[in-house]
Amino acid sequence: MRFTILKILSRQVLISTLKNKSTIVLIGIFNILIIAALFSGYSAFRQQQASVKDHSHEVRERWENNPDKHPHRMAHYGYVVFRQKFPLSFFDFGMDSYLGNAVFLEAHRQNTVNFSEASLSNGLLRFGEISAGMILQVLLPLLLFFWGFDLIARERENGTLRILLTQGISWPELIVGKALGLFYLSLSIFTPAIVIGFILLASNNSGLHNSQAFGQFSVLITSYLVYLSIISLLAVYVSAQSSSSKAALIKLIGCWLVFTLILPKISQVAGQSLFPSPSKIAFDTKVEEELISQGDSHNPNDPHYKALKDSLLRAYNVDSTHKLPFNYGGYVMREGERLSAEVYNRHQEKLVSIYQQQQNAVRLTALINPFLAIKNLSMALAGTDYNTYNDFQNQVEAYRYKQAQAMNELQIKLISNKIKSSSDKSSAVSSQYWKDFPDFDYHFLSFTQVFGKEIIAIISLIIWVVGLFFLIKTTSTHLKAF
Amino acid sequence: MAALLIKNFLRTKGFIFGLLILFLSGLTSLYIGKHFLEKNHEIVKKTAHFQQENIDRYVQNTKEMGSLLYYIRFGLSNQASNLAGLSIGQRDINPAVMSVTIRNLQEQKYNTDLMNPMYQLIGNLDFSFVLLYLFPLIIIAFGFNLVSEEKEEGTWSLVLSQAISPLKMLLIKMGIRYVSVLAVLLLLFFIAKLYLQISFDVAFIAYIVNSLLYVSFWFCAVWLVVSFHKNSSQNALILLTSWVLLTIVIPASVNAAIVHLYPAPEAFSTVLESRDGYHTKWDKPKEPTIQKFYQRYPQFAQFKHPDEADYSTLWYYAMQQAGDDEAATQANALKEKLRKRDALSTTIGLVIPTIHTQLMLNSLSLSDMRNYLNFNEKLQEFHERKKLYFFPKMFSNVPILQENWKIFPLEYFQDKADVQWLRAILPLLIISMLCVLWAQKNFIKNNTLNRHL
Repeated sequence: MRFTILKILSRQVLISTLKNKSTIVLIGIFNILIIAALFSGYSAFRQQQASVKDHSHEVRERWENNPDKHPHRMAHYGYVVFRQKFPLSFFDFGMDSYLGNAVFLEAHRQNTVNFSEASLSNGLLRFGEISAGMILQVLLPLLLFFWGFDLIARERENGTLRILLTQGISWPELIVGKALGLFYLSLSIFTPAIVIGFILLASNNSGLHNSQAFGQFSVLITSYLVYLSIISLLAVYVSAQSSSSKAALIKLIGCWLVFTLILPKISQVAGQSLFPSPSKIAFDTKVEEELISQGDSHNPNDPHYKALKDSLLRAYNVDSTHKLPFNYGGYVMREGERLSAEVYNRHQEKLVSIYQQQQNAVRLTALINPFLAIKNLSMALAGTDYNTYNDFQNQVEAYRYKQAQAMNELQIKLISNKIKSSSDKSSAVSSQYWKDFPDFDYHFLSFTQVFGKEIIAIISLIIWVVGLFFLIKTTSTHLKAF
Repeated sequence: MAALLIKNFLRTKGFIFGLLILFLSGLTSLYIGKHFLEKNHEIVKKTAHFQQENIDRYVQNTKEMGSLLYYIRFGLSNQASNLAGLSIGQRDINPAVMSVTIRNLQEQKYNTDLMNPMYQLIGNLDFSFVLLYLFPLIIIAFGFNLVSEEKEEGTWSLVLSQAISPLKMLLIKMGIRYVSVLAVLLLLFFIAKLYLQISFDVAFIAYIVNSLLYVSFWFCAVWLVVSFHKNSSQNALILLTSWVLLTIVIPASVNAAIVHLYPAPEAFSTVLESRDGYHTKWDKPKEPTIQKFYQRYPQFAQFKHPDEADYSTLWYYAMQQAGDDEAATQANALKEKLRKRDALSTTIGLVIPTIHTQLMLNSLSLSDMRNYLNFNEKLQEFHERKKLYFFPKMFSNVPILQENWKIFPLEYFQDKADVQWLRAILPLLIISMLCVLWAQKNFIKNNTLNRHL
């Protein structure tokens, strides 16, 4: 393949397409659309960021301002955590709108994360959202197909194709050269988006996460460049393959529909029927049943807790729990919390693994669908995918557990066995302990964690590039010049 | 002439293929709808069963009325209409059943069901999706080259020399396509009626009429575009751009604008207020909390908190009530916001056929936001009823076994679709008429009306 030829061919595509007035208009519209999407996404992100910050601050303040009291009351007072967005989330909204934003943490139970944007929407959301990511993934390919469908078919129809080929240009050079031109055209929309995205990212000073966000942004840029070159190659290859430009257009639009609308939905249906997931009621029932079978900490005759009591009495050589050197009630609650959290986590892990299986059904189709590959990869890099969310849920549960157990420890250590009720004045422990308990400190998935989960997407993008080049190389001998 | 055109249509592989695509994707969507309804039904059934089991267990193991009611849950099901099998709408996001204790409602009412968010993101392949997205595409494919095809293949002059007027011939051609697409649509509705056991009521008729009008709108839009006598690829470009705008870009922009116009920070504040409203009362003097409760429920003033007692059921539920009462302002503000969001998008929908149709179909299928808000109101009433019933029994500590615990099964809320015919039909009708009139003007301008001999 000669680079000078590629250069000439790609320039020719650029010049002839740009000569058309509608091209300039379309580029303009796309730029406006994508910049508007970036700014509105960014302002929504900033708004959410400020809101999360304010409310979290308030949660902390209220927590610390609690008076001296029985620690178990504090365990029930609990905490509220609001979900932070990753700095890059404004670029690709991913499934952000479908994820819960606020969760109330308390002892003994794991509450759902509530108030997803979707739960506050009236159904318009289901038409999709306009983010820079969505425009680049869905709308830009359609535009490239429009620009690219007749790049070779038209030459064939006009009879100029024969002239090109007789001048010694090979088929692969022709296809790759024209695709390169199309790719350059896509940069007229992609580059401004990246520049603005970069500026917005830089203007948001979110401290620690920023260097990671920039790292992920650069991978994101690379992935999109690969995606756009796949789309360009595909458009020109189909144009070369088709008998007429009309046929090429129909094929390309068909591809677009199958890639962006049909295949994702079908794979979703397949995943859902292959790996059915439980409803909340079924989930809760199972957890509760297992907890009951394990023992009831409130029932003094329960075998599990009776055995625990007997072993303690023996170990400390006393005849009553009142004589134990620590608070027995707190001890029992610590054990109860440990057991119930264990059961819950086991079921939660099972649920998450079903979700992962369902999602893998969708993920695997990335091998035949470059749109899904970039969608998943982009979401993961922008921190708006399921893994980021699942990690958030895990951190929240870990914090909830730590808090509940810290309160139990205080009770075990500081509260006398003689105290019957939490309203007893002498059961109050100093509010200093609330202040000493650390705030919820959320940290995003590390770069390797993000990357590791999306191997399929990366592989499929590579397969697509390699595969298309291979196809162009091998099948071009059968292509017709007229 | 007409017979020949029909024959020609039926012999063209592409057309039959298009109709087949619509039919098959329609069938798939019905299967998905059926699956959804069954899953929904299963959840309701399981909840009903579990509720009784739960009550029976706690009744056996609990000693006092007050602590029993701390644990047991009462469920209210938001009954799905079978039409929801056609438009799943928001029903895969909002829970089908809410099970609540008589403790404060604010901490319970926003709880969600378990769902894979990836699936919510990708969205359902339900019938309304097939109707909104795929039908227009096939309609566009059927009609975009109605005139240009003849011109490009050189048969237009033949058309002009026929015995009937060119416009009449185009009308017949378009008519054949229109009737064939409508036939597939009606066939799908017929199958849906039997397969999903949809009762043939006003809501279903309105659903069908709305769908027919939506399909008609797209035919009118295609008719308008071909009336400009542009070439095939220009027509295709214009129509596909309209499709992208109407099904993706405009609705998404409208949604973003609405969220921006009516942000809902109240959602977060509600959580904080209800939590503090209740939990901080533990450390405050009991008297004010109880007095507030008496103000709210004067009928319970006879029940007293025992002097010097550390705890009483009355005080406990007075604290719970404080959680709801102190969050009420924020909660109502949130509800108000949601209503505003809904109202604005409905209004914008009047001029955007896709938005209008989707919201209409969801509302007829009881799977829209209004249904969710109605349900929430009913849930509040339901919760209140349960409180009023059990409060006096708890406060006077009626023995648990005096109560018949078999009479608290799952309850059902059946919302009713509010069919406003004019509002449903007029927007689509007017837009379609405008397309046809404009097209007529173009046809006159392009001399398509008369024969040219």
